[in-house]
Amino acid sequence: MTNLRRRTVLAGTAGLLAVPHQSRAQAVKPRLTVISQWTSGSDGAAITALGKKFEEKGGIWQHSPVPGFTTEMMNKLRAQIMAGDPPACSQLKGPEIAAWSKIAATTDLDAIVAAAGYEKVVAPDLARLHKPGGHWISLPLQIYSTNMLFLSKRAMDKAKADQIPVTWADFNALAAKMKAAGVTYPIANGGTRPDDGQKFEASLAGISPTAYRAAIMNLDETALKGPEVKAAFVQVRKIADWMDPNTAAQHFSTNLKRFVAGDMGMMIQGGWAQGVLLNAGYKLDDFIIAPGPTDNGKPVFLLNADAFIFWQRKEADLQAGQALMAQLVMDPAIQTMYSQITGSIPVRTDVDLSGPGWSDGQRRTAAALKEAVASNQAVLSLAHNMAQQNGVTAAMIDVITEYVKDKTITPDEAASRLNEAVEGSH
Amino acid sequence: MRDTTFTPGRILIYLAVWSLAAAWLVPLAVVMLNSVRTAEEIVQTSMIGWPEHWAWDNYRTAWADFCVAQTCAGIRPYMLNSALVSIPATIISTVFGAVAGYAVSLWRFPGDRWIYGVVTLGLFLPQQMRLLPWTIVLRDVGLINTLTGLVLIHSIQGLSFTTLFCRNYYIAIPRELIGAARIDGAGFFRIFRRIVLPLSPPILIVTVIWQFTHIWNEFLYGVTFTTGQQQPVTAALIALSAAVADVPQHGVQSAAVMIAALPTLLVYLLGGRYFVRGLTAGAVK
Repeated sequence: MTNLRRRTVLAGTAGLLAVPHQSRAQAVKPRLTVISQWTSGSDGAAITALGKKFEEKGGIWQHSPVPGFTTEMMNKLRAQIMAGDPPACSQLKGPEIAAWSKIAATTDLDAIVAAAGYEKVVAPDLARLHKPGGHWISLPLQIYSTNMLFLSKRAMDKAKADQIPVTWADFNALAAKMKAAGVTYPIANGGTRPDDGQKFEASLAGISPTAYRAAIMNLDETALKGPEVKAAFVQVRKIADWMDPNTAAQHFSTNLKRFVAGDMGMMIQGGWAQGVLLNAGYKLDDFIIAPGPTDNGKPVFLLNADAFIFWQRKEADLQAGQALMAQLVMDPAIQTMYSQITGSIPVRTDVDLSGPGWSDGQRRTAAALKEAVASNQAVLSLAHNMAQQNGVTAAMIDVITEYVKDKTITPDEAASRLNEAVEGSH
Repeated sequence: MRDTTFTPGRILIYLAVWSLAAAWLVPLAVVMLNSVRTAEEIVQTSMIGWPEHWAWDNYRTAWADFCVAQTCAGIRPYMLNSALVSIPATIISTVFGAVAGYAVSLWRFPGDRWIYGVVTLGLFLPQQMRLLPWTIVLRDVGLINTLTGLVLIHSIQGLSFTTLFCRNYYIAIPRELIGAARIDGAGFFRIFRRIVLPLSPPILIVTVIWQFTHIWNEFLYGVTFTTGQQQPVTAALIALSAAVADVPQHGVQSAAVMIAALPTLLVYLLGGRYFVRGLTAGAVK
């Protein structure tokens, strides 16, 4: 069955690539049904552009956006699977790929991935996520880092600081200096759950990527009770003390004005914040972007990657569509186009970002990823559902977000609560 | 007769009522103001603020221009979808609810109380719990990803509310009236048409307002059981709001919310004075 399917897909691919004009008459026109939550803004623009490329290659692009949050898209996906009509391809990310692949049959992409020589240009932890059970059934599309450090130029001037902090000690010293110089809140932050989660994951991974991998990605009990997790909570408390407490549930963009004006000093945010700043009308020289603080001085990269999973379909046109889509998603030119629209960086580590379409922030992020992969310091984000399945993530973020907001909880208590949350949720 | 003397106690009541009303209206005021401010202005100043220059364009964008994926037609087509679901489902659930309420309140038959109990049980089942059963039903009747499927869901689910409301209203009709009509030879439907229905406008207006508002504002089923161009207006509204990596489009979003709220507001304004009256009918029996 698997072999037969792979052969069909391969045949479809070969037909498309090798002899497009002759075969198109007999071969089916590739068609792709896609479900994603990307509807508006740059996300919507990027997937629409991808669809145009798909159509340029002779395909029929049928995208059904499911607006809202991941839960809505999951409901839709579940309904389609139960109705016996799964989309040929749908947006899914992180460990949910492995979980969902047990619910319905997926398409084996091994042959197409191997033919493209793709595996060697993808960060290893990322590759593992997309081949649960050892086979490629999904493909990452774009990468964000969740722990970039944004510095307000005006706050830096106020504090008469010109050094970009490298370690957490540097970071804390700079925040204290800013506070002393009259910056009201040295840290700018939103109040959403992922925002709080990002502060914790940036702290722990920056203190020790090894401990992060053990405690958060592998849920190792010794690591969860270890000194690094407690140290991370101590660091999170410092960050929380420097934040505006009146940001409950708000998007981080609410504070951008005060950040740029120098009333707030630093922001630990995903790489996407650059695009948000620019779209809000601020200039590149209003702020500085650097990799998040790390105690060993080498960049730590907290990976957040969007991906597509491919569901098994029997129709020849959908299978041909899946093969074409897989090739597009792996294509460096397509990844370039996509990331230039959204502000992310390409999944491939071999894409040249020196061209004019890229920003310094993206170049720095890509360089950080390369370095982090080389030193084994690229890890998967907890706050953005890359490290654990949704249930475990939710339980852990509950503890973190409560800790950020309730200053009577001690770091020791938080660490043991985190451990209990993990025990109770998986 | 209206009492217009202002005793201290009365002033206190007015103060309390007015401040409650103000608290309820502040979010609406923020949305109204933001609907005429640009996203840039909102991000660069504050979520709450007076428009620096009036961005009436937000309404045009919201109505006809903004893109949901590759379709850039604004909120307009989705408003139509919502109307195509809400209007038939409201009518069907109201009509059947009235008949059912009439049957369980004014007629006695074996199991009448049980039927009433089971129908109203639907009020206590969370929406999420019914999602998978509905998936199976829609799959089996072949209505998944159609607006007709949504009409079916809302018509049937609406029965719980409409039956409850109508039953509580009709229970106040003297049983003797029905008995007299039966002696005159009137049957089940003739009594309904000639006696019960003419007494019904207040409660029917309540159920219409209630059903229309709920169906119009419904999101979960709307987004799960439709696809692409058929999505209801709530899905289009959410499409404007979700992106983490973008500047939130509060301006256009607020304008779209204002437009999307108009139909329910209109229904409420037209029937509003019956609303509380009908809702509390039978409550003090």
